[in-house]
Amino acid sequence: MDDFAELVRRHQSRVFAILHRYERDMHQVEDLAQETFLKAWRALPQFDGRAPFEHWISKIATHTALDHLRRGQRRQNEISLSELGEDALDWLRGEKKGGPEARSAAEILELAMRELSPLDRVVITMQEIEGRSVKEIAEATGSSGIAVRVRAMRARAKLKRALEKLAKV
Amino acid sequence: MSGEKLKKLFAASRKDTAPVPPEDFANDVLRMVRQEPPATRQINSLPDSVDRLFPRIAFAALAVIALCVAADYALTAAGMPELGDGLSLFSAQWFFI
Repeated sequence: MDDFAELVRRHQSRVFAILHRYERDMHQVEDLAQETFLKAWRALPQFDGRAPFEHWISKIATHTALDHLRRGQRRQNEISLSELGEDALDWLRGEKKGGPEARSAAEILELAMRELSPLDRVVITMQEIEGRSVKEIAEATGSSGIAVRVRAMRARAKLKRALEKLAKV
Repeated sequence: MSGEKLKKLFAASRKDTAPVPPEDFANDVLRMVRQEPPATRQINSLPDSVDRLFPRIAFAALAVIALCVAADYALTAAGMPELGDGLSLFSAQWFFI
């Protein structure tokens, strides 16, 4: 039990970082992180140690995020600009030059990504934000490499359209 | 245009800092874990493995039987000796000489 506590302490930051890509609310992130470690505890007898624990727990966190997105899919389909801060709105309207602040960028992406299916969202987030390879994404999501590439391409096209829509609102 | 915007969004979003876990987060997880039944490593015994593979083994056995019956019928229809005859001849040649 103490060993597991040590594992939680060592990997909690990474798990929070992964989950935060899919959920902005801190309390929800904490709940999801607890769910992730609970799943890891239950599946611990199946962990064979061939891959590092960090990869294993990251995969569980990604699946937990995917389940969470699927649960919230129906109530998250509407896009509302009122959820964005001033900086994000200014940037979207083209009133601010250069790139947006990190927080604003995450807010805008969170909004635009509601146009995507949960799996498309996970694929594009892992590829573009976490910088994972196609192979890693395929392993984490249980898809083929081709399927990952197709999903990423489709997600990018949908995000571009969502951004155009947001800029016009 | 929106492609460029998207690239900028991704680049900026990478710098977004994740929330710091609460100090007692690990203890909260442990409290939840203690309420769980103990995790046990499953030992796979031979009977367990056979039990799990039973449907496949049964299907494979049925497929072999069906193949033998079909071959027997086909050989008989073609006027060739039955499989049973061949087997008798084979055993007679090898074991009773």
